[in-house]
This record gives sequence, structure tokens and C-alpha cells, in this order.
Amino acid sequence: MRTAISLGAIGAISAISAISTLGALITLASTATSAFAVDYLSVDQAARVVFPQADRFEPRDLLLDAAQLQKLAASGLAPRSARWPVLLAWQGSTLLGVLVADAVIGKFELIGYAVGIAADGSVRQVEILSYRESHGHEIRLPAWRRQFVGKTASAPLRVGDDIANISGATLSCSHVTDGVRRIVAVLDLARRSGWLPA
Amino acid sequence: MSRPPPLLLSSEMALIPPCKSLHLPLHLHLPLRLRPHPLTAALTLALLWPLTAAQAQTATEAELMRRLDSLAAEVGQLKAQLGALQQQRDGAAAAPTTAPASTLPAGAAAPTAPSTAAAPPATVLTSYAEINYTRPRRASQNAQADLRRFVLGYQHRLDEQTKIVTELEVEHSVSSASDPGEVAVEQAYVEHQLTPTWALRGGLFLMPMGLLNENHEPAAFFGVERNFVETAIIPSTWREGGVQMVGQFDNGLTLQAGVSTGFDLNKWDATRTDGAQSPLGSIHQELALAKARDLALFGALNWRGVPGLQIGGGVFSGGATHGQALASARITLWDLHARWTPGKWDLSALISRGNISNSAALNAVLNAPLVGSATLIPKAFDGGYVQAGYHLWQQGNYALTPFLRWERFNTASGYADLGPGLTPPVRPAERVVTVGANFQLTPGVVVKADWQRFSQNRDADRSSVGLGWSF
Repeated sequence: MRTAISLGAIGAISAISAISTLGALITLASTATSAFAVDYLSVDQAARVVFPQADRFEPRDLLLDAAQLQKLAASGLAPRSARWPVLLAWQGSTLLGVLVADAVIGKFELIGYAVGIAADGSVRQVEILSYRESHGHEIRLPAWRRQFVGKTASAPLRVGDDIANISGATLSCSHVTDGVRRIVAVLDLARRSGWLPA
Repeated sequence: MSRPPPLLLSSEMALIPPCKSLHLPLHLHLPLRLRPHPLTAALTLALLWPLTAAQAQTATEAELMRRLDSLAAEVGQLKAQLGALQQQRDGAAAAPTTAPASTLPAGAAAPTAPSTAAAPPATVLTSYAEINYTRPRRASQNAQADLRRFVLGYQHRLDEQTKIVTELEVEHSVSSASDPGEVAVEQAYVEHQLTPTWALRGGLFLMPMGLLNENHEPAAFFGVERNFVETAIIPSTWREGGVQMVGQFDNGLTLQAGVSTGFDLNKWDATRTDGAQSPLGSIHQELALAKARDLALFGALNWRGVPGLQIGGGVFSGGATHGQALASARITLWDLHARWTPGKWDLSALISRGNISNSAALNAVLNAPLVGSATLIPKAFDGGYVQAGYHLWQQGNYALTPFLRWERFNTASGYADLGPGLTPPVRPAERVVTVGANFQLTPGVVVKADWQRFSQNRDADRSSVGLGWSF
């Protein structure tokens, strides 16, 4: 067959030259690398990306009470913490939304991500802050992150349901999706309790 | 504006109720940037111990968590005050490394916890295992229970760019001179991230071929046993020693290419049936004193630019006689695959074909006495499958996914001409229908059951159940 014939012509010499080429590539790449970028965005940068119209960001601690934590647990979400540091995005006196930064373990490594929640409780944007796994970098692609936009606490927000998986990166997708679902639920509780300013 | 309270102290962490580490908030399980001041730690203990002791019987875990967070905030304030006092006492002239939030310019966002700059755990222990029970329908005397494989591995990150990945596998439970088991190193490589796009991998790694080989944990595939095409045609778990570049691009493309060891046709044993079950599986070297005069080139391209969709293919080609046979030969294997997971569906398809060049001469040289009566080296082998799974039911962590797979494979779809009466007939292709279901007990634990019907070897019809886990 054609593929076999063409590749069959490649011998050990080709292999050695390929190693040399790889070596050259490695050298080039090493010299060209000025910064290592598993950390793609800081929380500050993510806030500005998600809420570009905001003129100020106000850090606040969202403290859930026992009843709220129990509500979360009852809905199948591990509460994780009663204290959620968040950033309120303001444009003048108008609250645009809230940014929550979090991290989950993918398969081996921590994945940092931030979720922007609009004032109405829907997901405005998800940003991946850091990603170190060998597989599944595609969760950084806008196409994957766009799946979350507009979802509220009433959405399933589950891989294999309303969120499509990335083949070969099931754990990363599932854990980030679970994290987003938890944050949406936490902010929904906060909104319902009147914690968020009007 | 007030700055968010600092992270918990290690003395507090000891009092946190036990729970799964993966579910802990980052500020509960990450190393601290600052060492706790002895006074702060003592205060923390003094504050927390009587509280937790007195209320343990009445407060819920959630309430305790809330109180711990609240106390953490108070301790943080105390810590800040202590730090300020310390600075005043020492007359320290050095500026703080981070400005208080109140001095941040308007519009600047103070960092919120969790900080992604915090160090993740450097070493992660991993494991997966499969325990299977298989019962042939027409030959129940051959029913078998087997700890198919048990794998322990670790990933250790040496620095921000470099990590080591290993897996050590035991097959069939016990490995000794009188037992059928086998111990093997499945992966042992170093990966170095050169740029955000490119990584270099060196050592013993899994070959990027097909859908299963690099994602072979039991929860990642349908069926008790791995599918036949990615066992008989693409040997799994297939690993080679070498170097490869891995490029992950922003358009969803992943490119892998490299140089590696290859197969050893000198190992072909025409008196055994191993070559008929899996031509490449019978002559793989697995970096065990691997003959390496002839190296192989390989490459794989996968595109995952649309959520839920993966389209790709791989190719491998390398010499396989290493100058030790009178005739030389090259083995080439390629595959094309696709997987699409729209909504509750999980659909996949794959085709693969392998060729062994100069197989007539090899058979004449290596297997001359056996020509015409044994498992000769084929010149071609191929296969393909289509598979559909559907996430039928989910409640909490429980999930049930039935599936159906149809596959066709032939481990000797062609022989080179050895002359009239000597050339073996082409083996008929086997077709297998598998119907079954994966039941997820919790993410990482799967119970499987399936039934398989063979078109050629009807005695192989079987039903199987299996238990698998991975973390």
C-alpha cells in the first residue's frame, strides 16, 4: 500500500536525522521560551476579561450559614467551604456580577478556573486560569467554555448531559463542570438570601 | 475595602473534620505561604480546642466548617496585627510584599482565594485495576475469574515544567515461575514543557494510536474486556521507548510525533497461536532489552475543536528485524478514529490496518520447516468497529450506560505469495457483537457486564462481568 511503501523507504538514517531535527527544535523552543504559561490568567486578569465594563472590583467574603450549607449538601453538592471569597464587579453603582475563582484537581494536577456570574445568577463566562495536565488542554478552548454561558442553578451542568466531554480528558471536564455547578449554586443561595447587593 | 482573610494555619487543619481531600476548598489543603507564628498557632489551638470538644456532639459538620472559617478570619486578623507589631518592634524598613487592599488603586482586583500560584501536591499516587469473570456459553468448563490487571503509578512534578510519570502493572494477580502472572513497567517517562504549546516526552511511553491505548483505564472504555480491534490489531497497552514531541494548539489540534523502539520479528514463533491472536502483541518488546538497531517513526494528529468531538489518526513505521535475520522487514500500522458525545450519546468508530513488508522472505527464512502448517507471518492485518453508548440513567453518583459494539477484525487478512500449495489461505474475518452496560458506582468505580457473540468461532460466545476502578 502507498503509505507503507513511502514510509518503508525511511530507514535508520532518517530516524537519526529526525532525532537531530527534534534536537534542533528543542533547542529553538528552549531559547524561545521566556515564561512558562501553565498559569494563563491571574484572578485579576480574569475579572477584567469577564467584566470588561467594570470600573471597580470589590473583594468580599460570602459566608454561608449552616442552613445554606445543608441545602447545598442536600442538592448533592459537597459544600467544601462556608467562606467563599468573591469579587463584585461594579460599573458605577450597578452590580454587573460576581467573579469566583476556584481550583479543582483534574486527573493529577490542579486546574485553576474562574466563573463570572451575572447579576441574574446566570453564568456569564468561565475562564481557565491554569492547566497542567498532559491531556485535555482543549478545555481552554472558547468552544468548550461557551457551553456554560447562560446556565443557571436550574441547569443540569453535568458532563454527558448539557456539557459535552473532551475525549481523553473526562476527569478534567467533569471536575471543572462540577466546580462550576457548585459555584452557580452557592451564588444562587447568596442571591436568594439577599446577600448580593441590588 | 478589606482584604480577604489569610489562609488557614496548619494547626487548624489538624482539626478539620475528615473529608475527601479532593473536595476540600483549596485554602484547606494547600501549603501555606507563611509559617504560622508560634503565638498564633497557640491561640488557634486555644480557641478551637474547647469549641470543637464542647460542641462536637451537637453541631453539624457544616456548622463546624462555618465556625472554622470564621475563626480562620479572626486568626488572620490576629496574625496581621502580630505582624504589624513585629514590624514596629524590629523597625523593619522593608515594604510588605503585597499592598493592603485598601491601598490598591481603584478598579484593581485584590486576589481572591484560591490562589492558583499556590503549589499543588508534587507527587500524586494513581492506580487502576480490573477484576473479570468470563463464562463461555458453550464451554462453561473454561469459565475464568481473573484479576486482569492491577496498576500502581505515580506522577511526580519536579518543577513547573518537568514531571515524571510511571505505572507498574501486575497482570493475573501472581507472578512467579509457576504462575501465569506478569509484572511490567507500563509507563516511565519524563515530560518537560518547553513552551505553552510544546512538550517533550522521553522514556517508556504509550503510543498515540487509536482511542484506547492512551486512555485504557477501566472506566474509560465500554465492556468488560477491551475491544478486539484495539487488542488484536493495535496492541494495547502498547508502549515503546523513545522521545516524542507533543504539541497542543489553540485550534484544538494535538500533534504527537517522535522516534521510538519498535517490534522484533525475530520473536515470531510459528508454532504458537500468539501471532494469530495479535500479530504485533506477540512481537512487542516493551523496552525489555529491546533490540534497537532499527528505530521507528510515529505520529498522531487529533482534533478536538468542537466540544464532544474527536477526530484523528496515527501512523507508526519501523524496521523489525534489526539486522538479525537474513531478510529485513518493516512494520507499518495506521488508524483513523472518531468519537462524538452529543448529549447523552457516546459514539465512536475506528479502523486500523497493519502491514509487514517482505513477509514471504521472512517466512521462508524463519519458518521454512513450518510453511504450510503453522502460524506464518501475515503481510496484512486489519480491523474496525463502531460503538454506541447511551447515558440512560443517573442518580447522584450512580450512572448506567448501556452500549452496543460491532467489530470486525482479521489478524491475517493477507499472506505474501509463497508458491502454490504453500501460501496459507487468508483467514476469515471475525465479527463480534458486544451488548452490555457500564454501571458507575461512583466516579472512578465501574461495574460492567456484557455478552459477546462471535461470527466465526461460535465457541467463543461468552458473557462477562467485571469490576474496575481508577484514581
